[in-house]
Amino acid sequence: MTELNTKIDSQDCYVEVNKDDLVVNNDSSKIHCKALEESEKINLNIEILESEIVPRINLKVLRDSYINLNIELTLLKGAKLEILDESEYSKGSEIKINSELKQNSSFELYRLNKFNQSTENTYFHKCELARNCIFKDFNFTNGSKYMTNETIVTLADEHSKYIGSGVVITNSTNCNNTLKINHVAPSAVSDCSFKAVSRGDANVTFNGNILVEDNCSNTVSNQISKGLIMNEEARVDLIPKLEINNDDVVCSHGAASGKPDENVLFYLTSRGISREDAKKIYIQGFLGEFIKKIDNAQMQAKAKQFISQNS
Amino acid sequence: MLEIKKLSISVEENKILDGLDLSVGAGEVHAIMGPNGSGKSTIAHTLAGNSNYNVDSGKALFKDKDLFELDPSQRSLEGLFLAFQYPIELPGVSNASYLKQILNIHRKYQGENPIDAGEFLKILKEKSKRLNISMEMHSRFVNTGFSGGEKKKNEVLQMDLLNPSLIIMDETDSGLDVDALRQTSEAVNKLRSKDRSFIIITHYLRLLEYIEPDHVHIFQEGKIVESGDKRLAHKIDKEGYTT
Repeated sequence: MTELNTKIDSQDCYVEVNKDDLVVNNDSSKIHCKALEESEKINLNIEILESEIVPRINLKVLRDSYINLNIELTLLKGAKLEILDESEYSKGSEIKINSELKQNSSFELYRLNKFNQSTENTYFHKCELARNCIFKDFNFTNGSKYMTNETIVTLADEHSKYIGSGVVITNSTNCNNTLKINHVAPSAVSDCSFKAVSRGDANVTFNGNILVEDNCSNTVSNQISKGLIMNEEARVDLIPKLEINNDDVVCSHGAASGKPDENVLFYLTSRGISREDAKKIYIQGFLGEFIKKIDNAQMQAKAKQFISQNS
Repeated sequence: MLEIKKLSISVEENKILDGLDLSVGAGEVHAIMGPNGSGKSTIAHTLAGNSNYNVDSGKALFKDKDLFELDPSQRSLEGLFLAFQYPIELPGVSNASYLKQILNIHRKYQGENPIDAGEFLKILKEKSKRLNISMEMHSRFVNTGFSGGEKKKNEVLQMDLLNPSLIIMDETDSGLDVDALRQTSEAVNKLRSKDRSFIIITHYLRLLEYIEPDHVHIFQEGKIVESGDKRLAHKIDKEGYTT
């Protein structure tokens, strides 16, 4: 096992997991972290300092073998960070992130991942937000045979905010998604969205858990989940679970799933678009509503491209 | 252009059209009028290929091709265009990218090169101006949040872009104010040519005051019960369908 501890306070940092290397590059220095065995766990400890500019870590997995990556992330007081993971995981993977956001820090995480249709992939992220912190969490995934995505967010102090969107496009997959939001301090906000496109014989599950503890007045918490079922054999199960222990809150949730509207498909085909392409446009439209939630123009363009390529 | 022979249509076992005959020559404008539920929209959607409508018997030849052998997209590519009474909303897809996509699909079918973004924008501006459509509308999602008039204008814009040879307008005048009706009709009149035919479905004379038909047909209970020229539309406007 190899450990890497680094402090990053400038823009354009790269983390690449090569066949046997882990590279962190912040332009001024290049630090290699060798995994001695292909199956070995790679631990990455990152501490982000306060800075004027927003540093970005580009996480790119190039290794053509099982990936077992553990990231311990701390954003110090007032720090900002973007992480972009555009990896295509050709083999199985197990990614764990444990992140802590200190007061007034801001974290944006963009995962745009394509997985092999025959692999098992798990992702687990535990994040705790202190006072006045914001965490924007956007996950777009396609592929995998057995996939588990779990994110647990604790809004631990006042005026902390979580904005999260998950998009799953899948065929031939068992895909379990869990998002737990724990409101343990007053005046915190969570806004969660999940959309799944289930094709082939895919089975997608979303467990959306929101807990608001009794001391959490002025909480605002919204959750919406939608599923698009493209085949007779495909399934989407959306399971919202809200436990609200304080009356002075604004909370909402909505869940809906169904097949594409034949009237829309007819309209598109009546304009010369083939039925197959009409379904792709339908999927892009279904997911396109979520793109608007991304206010970072560059990331919005990447998300659009991901949807277009995987519809 | 279009030959319909003894066409019978049903929806979920209910017979809607019963042995319809209609012949539309190249360059002709046919108006179909009739009370609610007489089968006017049924003929429009059947010709465009809506699978909710079952063809029980009969034929429809479009430019000598059996229309019912073609799927909806093939019918469109062959030159049939249906302007919907209730245009469908498509959230998440911008109107501009949708219009460019359908234009390029038709260009490809015609053996032409796809149009680039700059050239498309130029065409879109010119055609939108004719219909008094703001360019801002094209940055919105297809028909989403559009007013009734904007939706209908967007239908006319599509027919203008795709250059079809047979245009079926299903109550395009409904939901249009006087100015929008005039602008839309002027755009349609500019599309009239000796190679392009129209079937205009309407309840009212006012659209036919702008777009003068060559033939007017009265539909009742799934059949044409009377045909004539524009004077027939005036008669219906004055006397109604029940006399």
